[in-house]
Amino acid sequence: MKKLISLLVSAALAVTSVFALAGCSGTKGSGNEASNFKVGAIYINSQNDTAGYTYAHHHGITEAMKQVGLDPSKDLYIVDNVPEDDEKVKQAIDQLAGNGCNIIFGISFGYLNAMDEKAKEYPDIIFSHATGYLSNDKNFNNYFGRIYQARYLAGIAAGYKSLALGNNNIGYVSAWGTEYAETCSGINAFAMGCMAVNPDAKVNVYEIYTWGDQEKERQAAELLIDTYGCCVIAQHCDSAQPQIVANEKNVFGCGYNSDMTKEAPNAHLAAPVWNWDAYYATAMKAAMANPSTFMTEVGNYYEGLNAGLVDVSALSSNCEPETKEAIDLAKKMMINGEWDVFSGVKLSFSGAAGSVAVAKTDAPLVTNEGAEIVAAGGASVDDSVIQGTMNYYVEGVTQVNK
Amino acid sequence: MRRYHLVRRADSQLKRTLIYYAAGILISLAIGAVILACLEINPFEYYGRMFTIGLIGNRYGYKSIEGLLKIFVPLLITSLALSLSFKMRFWNIGGEGEFLIGAICASCIAFNSTGMPNFVTVILMCIAAMLSSGIIGIAIAALKVKFNTNETLMTLMINYIMLYVIRYLGDTKAPWNFFLRADSERPIFGSFPESAVMKGIPLGPFTLLWSVLISIILTVIVYVYLKYTKQGYEISVVGDSSATAKYAGMGVGKIVLRTMFISSAMIGLAAALTVSAAGTISDTITNDVGWTGIIVAWLSKLSVPAVFVTAVLISILQYGCQAAATQYPAIDINYADLLQGIILFSVLVADFAANFKIVRKEDAKNA
Repeated sequence: MKKLISLLVSAALAVTSVFALAGCSGTKGSGNEASNFKVGAIYINSQNDTAGYTYAHHHGITEAMKQVGLDPSKDLYIVDNVPEDDEKVKQAIDQLAGNGCNIIFGISFGYLNAMDEKAKEYPDIIFSHATGYLSNDKNFNNYFGRIYQARYLAGIAAGYKSLALGNNNIGYVSAWGTEYAETCSGINAFAMGCMAVNPDAKVNVYEIYTWGDQEKERQAAELLIDTYGCCVIAQHCDSAQPQIVANEKNVFGCGYNSDMTKEAPNAHLAAPVWNWDAYYATAMKAAMANPSTFMTEVGNYYEGLNAGLVDVSALSSNCEPETKEAIDLAKKMMINGEWDVFSGVKLSFSGAAGSVAVAKTDAPLVTNEGAEIVAAGGASVDDSVIQGTMNYYVEGVTQVNK
Repeated sequence: MRRYHLVRRADSQLKRTLIYYAAGILISLAIGAVILACLEINPFEYYGRMFTIGLIGNRYGYKSIEGLLKIFVPLLITSLALSLSFKMRFWNIGGEGEFLIGAICASCIAFNSTGMPNFVTVILMCIAAMLSSGIIGIAIAALKVKFNTNETLMTLMINYIMLYVIRYLGDTKAPWNFFLRADSERPIFGSFPESAVMKGIPLGPFTLLWSVLISIILTVIVYVYLKYTKQGYEISVVGDSSATAKYAGMGVGKIVLRTMFISSAMIGLAAALTVSAAGTISDTITNDVGWTGIIVAWLSKLSVPAVFVTAVLISILQYGCQAAATQYPAIDINYADLLQGIILFSVLVADFAANFKIVRKEDAKNA
């Protein structure tokens, strides 16, 4: 009898599937009305997030699709919440390929192996991988941006605030420290931005050893304010908690990823932000025009302020009056390629609002342990260092929990 | 004051059970349909795609079948293994942990197998995984037999221990750590050399992996073992009453140890087949089979043929939910998980309702 019942369970399940199948026979396929070009995306979190990394990419992809004349509600296929597990990524790619996607974006570093392997299996599909380092010469590229440039600009805002408050201690809540070039270069650029305005500024880094943990982000910000007396809290982590803490404790802050002024109205100055649509539109246009020239047209993509890929959010009313002029000056120099952050030339800003001036001085790029990386007047370090091997802090940076 | 009691139905009618199950599933689908309608998605179209695992209009449909089978094989073997121990009333909820230790040991061989023949490597991986998982299982069984420890707690904890072992391996960049990709600055699991990747029978573009055949053969073996062998009979006697088993002269301790070893070793085998088919390892490689397997085993009332059918259906449900979610940008995997949960919950409630009824106290006296 027991067996009979269990077989019935199965039968009942089967009957329902048949029912549902019958239901679908009358419906039309969605391919009919959609255009021929389809975009696939693999997300580490959900497209329905309202902030954070996946949100920024999803926003970028949908905006870019509108710009190139695609309909995100019909031409976009998403596999979300895909962990960094090769098998799951491969299955996601098979799904997207099966649905006819012409280009597949993978936004997380750990999708590396699977995208590399599947790019060979599906030569007709373009594979585009954020933050990775692999590519081939036909249909697989990687993309990322010079977010350190935007962090330098946010550092200028923080520097002016610390000058005005007469407090040289600036805090920085960071997911990781020198382990990853991405976090390390961000900290250094931010510190150099601070020091361009306030040469005595000290950046105190608290490393939380995870990409996202709201409780730890919160505790780190509290510690930096209460113990180290920091007057501005910058961050490289996923949530707005450090800014919320800064708001509660009546100090100031620079967020990340999105304009966090709405979370911290009395504290937030300006945040380094990504405008991923700048890349996604470029990639989609190239893939729509001619997939076979994608790698020569777009290739491995690493752009910054010049392409509009990174920027600082609109300056809030908490910023000091000189901030905007100084940021505009620095931004202009980076956009026209006249100067970059990690070179042997330092910027310094002076003058009151309305007459802010920038001066360039040759000065070596030195680590906080005294080692010289770039000689005075020398050219910027290579992109490969900024993206992959930078593992030192510059002068003025101290990690407080090492 | 009126009191209500639950009473097991004296008769178990086929027709009633069928109706209850159908009603349960229809109600859960209806709840899901309301949510879909709120998102302005046609529920019929959505369910159509879900139950056809996204095959309609799929230009690489055979890949979907391959993907489905990769979910199905570990689920089937793990459910069978768990049914073995549940039959003996040994509450092994450590499927996840036993799976992971097997996966780690199989990967140790896989990552160091460059140049070895494929057949030999895969066999070695299976043996390593079965031994390691089996030893963990027998150790927990020994503690139970010797000191009467609580096997539920012990097996539960092993899940977390093994999860953190594999996360440690995945996060630790060190010269000894051959699990990681060598050329990457960030820690990331590497891919197995070609020698350790499961092969299969090519049928056109489709490849029927050996693991599928192995799992089907294993199902038959377990069925025969439970139904027609002395050892299988012993398991069910120990499960019904260990006192009876003792009185009948059976060595209960020995039976528990033996069965737990077989059960855990089977989970180890599932792990070896899974990592070999995937060609890599990760901390999510189990796909939660240690947990889902418990549901499959109980939905099937521990009957082997029913485990097979239920594992097929749950795999289709899992794969289909994801496939359908892919085709709608507004639907994320959370909806797919929600729907799966509602369906499984309704089926369990339907099963309960088909076997029990609520009666008032005075009626119960007469019943």
